[in-house]
Amino acid sequence: MADAAFEGRTLVKVFGELRAVGGITVAVQRGEIYGLVGPSGAGKTTLIRMLCGLTTPTSGEARLLGHLMPKERRAVEDRFGYMPQERAVYRDLSVGENLLFFGRIYGMSRPAVARRTRELLTLMRLADRAKQLSAHLSGGEKQRLSLACTLIHEPDALLLDEPTIGLDPALRLEFWDHFRTLAATGRTLLVSTHYVHEAERCGRVGLVQRGRLAAEGAPPDLKAWASTASGGPVSDMEDVFLILCRSEGGLR
Amino acid sequence: MKANRVLTVAERVLRQLAHDRRVLVYMLLIPGVAMILFGYSFSGDITGIRTAFIDEDNTDLTASILENLEKDDAFRVTVLPPGEDPEQLLLKGGYQAVIRIPDKFTSLYYAHFAMGVATTAQGTIDLCVDESDPQIASTVAMGLADAIMDLGEGGPVNIETRELYGVEVRFIDSFAPAIMGLVVSLVSTVLTVLSIVREKVDGTFSRVWVSPVRRSEFILGYVVAFGLIALVQSIVVLSIGKLVFDIVINGSIVWAFVSVILFAVGSVGLGTLLSALARTESQAIVSFPLVVLPSVLLSGMMWPIQAIPAVLRPLSYIVPLTYSNRLLRAVMVKGLAPWEEPVGLAGVLVFVVLTIVLASLVLRQSAQEAG
Repeated sequence: MADAAFEGRTLVKVFGELRAVGGITVAVQRGEIYGLVGPSGAGKTTLIRMLCGLTTPTSGEARLLGHLMPKERRAVEDRFGYMPQERAVYRDLSVGENLLFFGRIYGMSRPAVARRTRELLTLMRLADRAKQLSAHLSGGEKQRLSLACTLIHEPDALLLDEPTIGLDPALRLEFWDHFRTLAATGRTLLVSTHYVHEAERCGRVGLVQRGRLAAEGAPPDLKAWASTASGGPVSDMEDVFLILCRSEGGLR
Repeated sequence: MKANRVLTVAERVLRQLAHDRRVLVYMLLIPGVAMILFGYSFSGDITGIRTAFIDEDNTDLTASILENLEKDDAFRVTVLPPGEDPEQLLLKGGYQAVIRIPDKFTSLYYAHFAMGVATTAQGTIDLCVDESDPQIASTVAMGLADAIMDLGEGGPVNIETRELYGVEVRFIDSFAPAIMGLVVSLVSTVLTVLSIVREKVDGTFSRVWVSPVRRSEFILGYVVAFGLIALVQSIVVLSIGKLVFDIVINGSIVWAFVSVILFAVGSVGLGTLLSALARTESQAIVSFPLVVLPSVLLSGMMWPIQAIPAVLRPLSYIVPLTYSNRLLRAVMVKGLAPWEEPVGLAGVLVFVVLTIVLASLVLRQSAQEAG
């Protein structure tokens, strides 16, 4: 696990009576796209928040680029990007001003932010929206702006919490193209989604259910396991997930 | 801590406000409207009290009393013939006060004047007042006493009033500093609460906390932004105060601005603290009376703290505006430097340090809860 960008060791998080995460161990290698797949409320967001140091684990250990979180977050704070589940942009700032703010707080100079803003707005097809208030953007445009804000400081590692939620299929596909492009440049992506079929696009997938990692592996391996478990051919990840839900153990 | 990040947060807050033109207009209007409304409503000068004057003695002395009353703007005097019933004049005649000078008033007055304590003879004026409004009643009593004091006949005691600050200080003069503190505090507190709660609701809070921005930088960014806004609002209040009400500014304007900005800093801290109690913008809005009511009623802004019932008075000393009022009045009316009003200055400094330190701790908790 020396090369892991994200690493959780028997991570537990308890909120009052609720055990949101119940002992997950996971390691995401550098340059990998790792999908955290599971229904809403399964514990994906809490796991991501522990890995980026926003939530302190009740027990266990979370590491980001080798640093213990949240204790050593300062050592890596400008090397990772976090996209929260909410769109997390300032409604009363324009598209350009949002990017300016997030760029500047990462210590980028104004010319550097301006250069990067032009790149990202072109990439996200928001170039004609630079002066538009975020409140007036469509849902898909806000989501693209949110991703642009996450990428502004060119982080090595990305934690993306449900980045495609609420997007139409074409836009979801576009987002995954961006993710693949990012991974191709050596970046690590931990992407959570409750769209099970999106798992097909990840190098490896962790299936999260009721705060536990019920299964983990590359999509072909998970399908092979599901075929064996069900005694029939399994062609997509939705079937894998259904078979997993019915089975007692799972694949680890 | 990096000044660059502090200024980035401040710039963001100002840009957000700049985009919301209504809020911007309100921010500039509120201080002006508050100054004008409060200034006129609480100018302290009651005028035109409908007063009946019945002179049954009809001497030069009583004529002088009438003349003095007519010179006083507080009274609108109507002279009525003897024989009218004062109570009926109040209840049915539309008068608010009836002053009746009985027969032989003048001779008794001079007898007492000549013999002093050696005689019990004393001129007596019959005053009937509509006491349904105690302020009117006390104004009439004071006005009548002044009219008699001004007779120029001399008396056992002569009171000479010296103007400590060089000019007569009116209610509005000591009220303007309080309005400045109140408006700046309300706007800073309310906008900070709303802004931080909105950050939590929208998820930008989480994004900021994983960035290099420190809690202290975040708070200081708000402080810089609202400090600038406080300065603009203070200029509005002072300009209207000077132009419309010709308020007394004996002290240094610079110290007045420094004091009010200091108070705005504490108000940003208070807003941050209150933001921890609210999860939604609606919850934040309903918490505002908690700030407004004690500030207006208990700070000594409207009436002296000595006029507040003893059971509530201890609360006055924990209301931050109490100390801001002392400090700003000392600077603006008395012409003192802030350190020459140590209680007010210490109160404001404690408010600033306490709220900013607690706000920093609260932000840590809020960051954990956000999202």
